[in-house]
Amino acid sequence: MKRAIGPAAVALLVSLWVVAAADADEKSLTIWWAQWDPAAGLQELSQDFTAETGVAVTVHQIPWGSYQDQVFLEYGNESTAFDIVVGDSQWIGRGATKGLYLELTDWIGGAIDLDGIHPLAKRYLMEYPTGSGKIWAAPCETDALGFAYRRDWFEDMQEQTTFRANYGRELTPPQTWKQFRDIAEFFHRPHGKRYGAALLSGRGYDSITMGFQPFLWAFGGAWGDPETFAVKGHLDTPAAAEGLQFMIELLKFSAPGGTNADYGGVLNAFTNGSTAMALNYFPFFPGIVEAMGDKVGFFVVPGHDGTRAISLGGQGMSISTKIPALQQALAKRFIAWFQQKSVQQKWITYPGAFTANKELLDSAAFRDAYPFNGTFAQSLDHLRDFWNVPVYNELLAVNARVLGEALDGSKTPQAALERLAMEHEMILRGAGLGR
Amino acid sequence: MGERDGGAELGDHWLKVGFVAPALLLLLCVNVFPLFYSLWLSFTNADLIGSGAVQSVGTLNYSFLFIDPRYAEALRTTALFVVAAVSAQLVLGYGLALCLQERFRGKAVLLTLLLVPMMMPPAVMGVYWKLILDGSYGVLNHGLAFLGFGQPQWTTDPGLKLLSLLIVDVWMWTPFMLLISLASLNAIPTYIYEAAAIDRAGRWRVFRRITLPMSAPLVGLAVLLRSTDALKQFDLVMAITGPNDGATQTLSALLYQVMFRDGKVGMASAYSYVVLVVVIALASIFLRYLNHLQRRVGTAS
Amino acid sequence: MKNLRWMLLAVYGMLSTLPLLWLAITAIKSRVDSIATTAKFIPVGEGLGIEAGSVRFEATLEGFRALGEIYAGAAHPYYHYLLNTFLIGSLSTVAAVSLGTLCAYGFSRFRILGERDLLFFILSTRFLPPLAVVIPILMMYRSLGLPNTHLGLVILYTAFNLSLAVWLMKGFIDDIPAAFEEAALVDGYTRWQVFLRVVLPRALPGMAVTAVFCLISAWNEYGFAMTLNNRDAVTVPVYFAGLQGNVQGMPWSQVGAGVLLFVTPIVVFTVLTRKHLLRGVTFGTIKQ
Repeated sequence: MKRAIGPAAVALLVSLWVVAAADADEKSLTIWWAQWDPAAGLQELSQDFTAETGVAVTVHQIPWGSYQDQVFLEYGNESTAFDIVVGDSQWIGRGATKGLYLELTDWIGGAIDLDGIHPLAKRYLMEYPTGSGKIWAAPCETDALGFAYRRDWFEDMQEQTTFRANYGRELTPPQTWKQFRDIAEFFHRPHGKRYGAALLSGRGYDSITMGFQPFLWAFGGAWGDPETFAVKGHLDTPAAAEGLQFMIELLKFSAPGGTNADYGGVLNAFTNGSTAMALNYFPFFPGIVEAMGDKVGFFVVPGHDGTRAISLGGQGMSISTKIPALQQALAKRFIAWFQQKSVQQKWITYPGAFTANKELLDSAAFRDAYPFNGTFAQSLDHLRDFWNVPVYNELLAVNARVLGEALDGSKTPQAALERLAMEHEMILRGAGLGR
Repeated sequence: MGERDGGAELGDHWLKVGFVAPALLLLLCVNVFPLFYSLWLSFTNADLIGSGAVQSVGTLNYSFLFIDPRYAEALRTTALFVVAAVSAQLVLGYGLALCLQERFRGKAVLLTLLLVPMMMPPAVMGVYWKLILDGSYGVLNHGLAFLGFGQPQWTTDPGLKLLSLLIVDVWMWTPFMLLISLASLNAIPTYIYEAAAIDRAGRWRVFRRITLPMSAPLVGLAVLLRSTDALKQFDLVMAITGPNDGATQTLSALLYQVMFRDGKVGMASAYSYVVLVVVIALASIFLRYLNHLQRRVGTAS
Repeated sequence: MKNLRWMLLAVYGMLSTLPLLWLAITAIKSRVDSIATTAKFIPVGEGLGIEAGSVRFEATLEGFRALGEIYAGAAHPYYHYLLNTFLIGSLSTVAAVSLGTLCAYGFSRFRILGERDLLFFILSTRFLPPLAVVIPILMMYRSLGLPNTHLGLVILYTAFNLSLAVWLMKGFIDDIPAAFEEAALVDGYTRWQVFLRVVLPRALPGMAVTAVFCLISAWNEYGFAMTLNNRDAVTVPVYFAGLQGNVQGMPWSQVGAGVLLFVTPIVVFTVLTRKHLLRGVTFGTIKQ
């Protein structure tokens, strides 16, 4: 008996090892995304992929505030914990030039139906440099800024009468920023803990940039020239300053702390019932609908003097270059599967999930899926994006500081934009862009 | 003090080395070598997501130091923070120590209770203080509302952010100054006070001529120690406002921003070198002072 | 004058302990109550009807129970991170105290060239800002595969606690009379045997105190933990900081419960070592 123990132990160990090795054969895919409803939807949807292929899929959600940091810190390692990263649209330049994203140009044409994809999605979510035809990501989520508003307050007879009397117009969702201002002023009743508007002004990541953009563009400014990378003369014009000034004045109609509200903060300000209108990205709206049901309506971001420009959002699925070839092949399989029309049709049934498929975006099925989908579809024609150059993160960081100072009142809008233009040019030149 | 072994035998010499060397070796590898590596890095364009080759850029990073407005602001913010925090902690700590001069029942318990905050994790308490300082549902504002004052936005109002940081830091480290002030006051021999009493010296005179000067050396040591600690301020900034806030961006926060957010390792190394030089200067002042005290009193007690 | 003294002490005592008390209260609140816009500080039993705006709230252990759940944004529940902190803290403490005691004994009993300078060099390592040091260390660690490992942080914490360990232990060993060792040496024991059998048992209380301070230092550390171990082997302070920015807001009652659990050992150790607090917080440079 004693003599048998030795060999028995060896046999046990060997069998354990074999079992472990066999377990290691089980394929799996790890996807990193930000923490919000669409990510939960993707997790559920990918169970269909697992059923079809036997490959387990894990969607790891990271809060927006630290999402960018976590992903790029991860890229510093020898290999990344994720196979697919659903990267924000601005990241694409950095991912492409630093060899972090796998180039998909040659593969993607044969794997998915490129013609079915909305041109804006192609332009902003898939290729870098813009217009070059080089592809680094497949569209996962298209996105835009939109407004949620208290329909029950707007439809209240009493409110309507008073509004008509004071402003000489009907109380309806605003088409222009001036109209928006009137409504915000009207509903701003701080003594009763009621506030007019919640705008994006947070100092982490990109909240303040996304929140400021609609004003910058609508009033006639721009971040810079996309060809020459000149910033002065675009960002620091009187028109741009007027836009910033307008945003600052609108913030007077927000709740305390409204000058530093990120996506979650704006969401809370609206769902706690105190604010009349809130600006946020559409995928955040399912939570509002869940909390407030029929009380809530949605409208497209207003314009100014005929110009309506809305911050584009959205993320594309990119494959990490720091994973084994086998994993990359699996990732390609997943992406090809996800882009199929049948899967996209199921994708849009999840709250906050948006497709890049042209046909589906126009369809009634999409519009009827959720109360805000129609508004989203309407917003698509006015979308514009921020810089997606490799040093976009430095640009975002300096935006957060300098625009933040303007919102806090430490700098005048004109001074802030002049300082911002100078810093942007320094950063762009330092990265070798422009002269 | 322990006896000194002449160490005449070779065996003993190696034994000496054997006792002391492992620790020193570890320190050399983990503390000293990285500083040289950092110096080398500061002359390169090393990147956090380094996929390209690292190239030398000469003194480019250092010249950036002078034109980057963030650096001057970080220096200013850090200096302001250190001076304000340490002064407040000194005054409060020393004042409290004066109040605790007498013996009373439960003094030991009270003292231990008062000392707890300085043992707490700054990063964790910083996160938790955000709840206390929150504009809408923080208990501080609840209390202020109760007393009839307004509702300041402690963590978002630009004028108040640094103050919020100071509040938490003072809460946390006053016990430190209290502890050392107490030790310094207790170290003053009672016969001196008795002599002063015989001379019928007034209370204020006693304080000014005896208490203050005799407790000063140890308290000075504490101030130096606390200042070098405050210079490193990072945890609270990260927890309460994040590293990229103009009002609270201390030197460590700026280093984090440049290294981990901008991804510029070379530049961050250059930026950190100036900080290191300042720290080393302060450290040598501290050590020289400590040495001076040790010589004067035998041991620093 | 006397009354002023008592008032000052009382006010400060209250202000100082209130945040900790509030922490305990938050830990037993429900999520909704923890972010109520009116202060609630009187806990009552469950089931009683409470009007809005009241200062009473229903006490609940929901925060503690939630600690076992995985909160969005994190990969594991709270206890996983607590285990990491415990592992990294204990291992680095054992290493620091061992190396530190050896080193302190050497400095105490032997005449070493440049002793004063070496001791001061050891002390000066404490002054280095972690963020300045982490820049080269991260690059070094990457080439050794040490980021996101327990070992990486253990090595770092050991090195940075060495100054504390050496200075504290030197103070304790200096207090041990050398007569016992002399006698043993005369009896023919080797220096190493003397160290093990004569000095170590007597140094044990000092080592315990040193271990406590090293552990607390590792327990509380954030700068290195956050930058080096952001994905695996994550410690509790980094976990709490990472909960921020969550779209659903911070789970304050859960955070309160977690923080309470986290700082309880610290409070216990503070009370146990209260006689040596002065030595401990001044890195052994000041003794009573």
